[in-house]
Amino acid sequence: MSPNPIGNRVEQLAQSLAEHIVPMIVDAIDIDSIIDKVDVEKIIERVDVDKIVERVDVDQIIERVDVQKIIDRVDVQQIIERVDINAIVDKIDIDSLVEQTELGSIIARSTTGVLTEVLDVIRAQGVGLDDFILRWGNRLIGRGKKVRHWPAGPPLLVGPKAIAPT
Amino acid sequence: MTTVPVPSPALTVGRQGNYAGAVSRLAAFAADVGASWGLYTLGVALLNAALKLATGHSFTLSNHQLAAFIVLTLWEFLYFTYQWAVSGKTLGMAILGLQVVTRAGAPISGRQAVFRTVGLGITLFLTLGIGFLGIVYQRDRRALNDYIAGTAVVYDWDARAARLRWIARKEGPAGTAAPQEHII
Repeated sequence: MSPNPIGNRVEQLAQSLAEHIVPMIVDAIDIDSIIDKVDVEKIIERVDVDKIVERVDVDQIIERVDVQKIIDRVDVQQIIERVDINAIVDKIDIDSLVEQTELGSIIARSTTGVLTEVLDVIRAQGVGLDDFILRWGNRLIGRGKKVRHWPAGPPLLVGPKAIAPT
Repeated sequence: MTTVPVPSPALTVGRQGNYAGAVSRLAAFAADVGASWGLYTLGVALLNAALKLATGHSFTLSNHQLAAFIVLTLWEFLYFTYQWAVSGKTLGMAILGLQVVTRAGAPISGRQAVFRTVGLGITLFLTLGIGFLGIVYQRDRRALNDYIAGTAVVYDWDARAARLRWIARKEGPAGTAAPQEHII
């Protein structure tokens, strides 16, 4: 209790007045119109985010985060469905990747047997001999140069203007 | 033992879908003739054994030449037609990495497979093989039976994978250099 009885009464009067007046003032204020007048962009521009970030103790925040809970909430299946694997694979230059890494030897060990390798060799030899016969067969009848302008394959498979690589 | 050089990258990359040439096609045909004859002989032997078990009498198809000719013709017709109709390739073509497609490059129909087999017989026996010269002298490397059926033959093997294997062999396991030739 205040040692001054007058001061004490004034204080009580001020308190009771405040109890009556403050709610009236608050009711009278149109908060929406005030918010409308506030230029949020300007406020954001004034805020020095770097300073705030510097004050934040990230380690402490990380310690508080329950990562397991977040992981449990993530729907991995939905994320996978959204990913366009084909687009990603198309962007990869497999040849250069294989040349730079040991992926080549891994592929060789995992996907090929002796039979596959033998088939590769036989087929490649066949392609070479095919080209040889085509080139020389046509050279014999004086059409060697024309062959170079022949189509490489059917239009649906190689495009209408693709030329044979002989 | 035969020493075969490794395939050159220039030969093995980017040829999928290209018209196949004479040597690959001839090799595939030879493999098919061998396979179909082998299966025919096996079938006849099994049939003979089954008949012997069932009736006690031995039956030799070669003693009935007309029947043998008809059965063999039917068998060859089925061998080629069925495989072309189902997958566009026979066993020999699968080994050599070839496929029959329409002239435009689409999968062939059963009707085209039938025409191609009949055309194969015509090209082989009526033109005495001259119909195959189109594989070397025609722009789209089509033989007479291809013209009859409206088809073409293309390379179908995974040349890109072969290229990767070739690079892998060149690197060798754990970076060791592999020999430049394969002995088969």
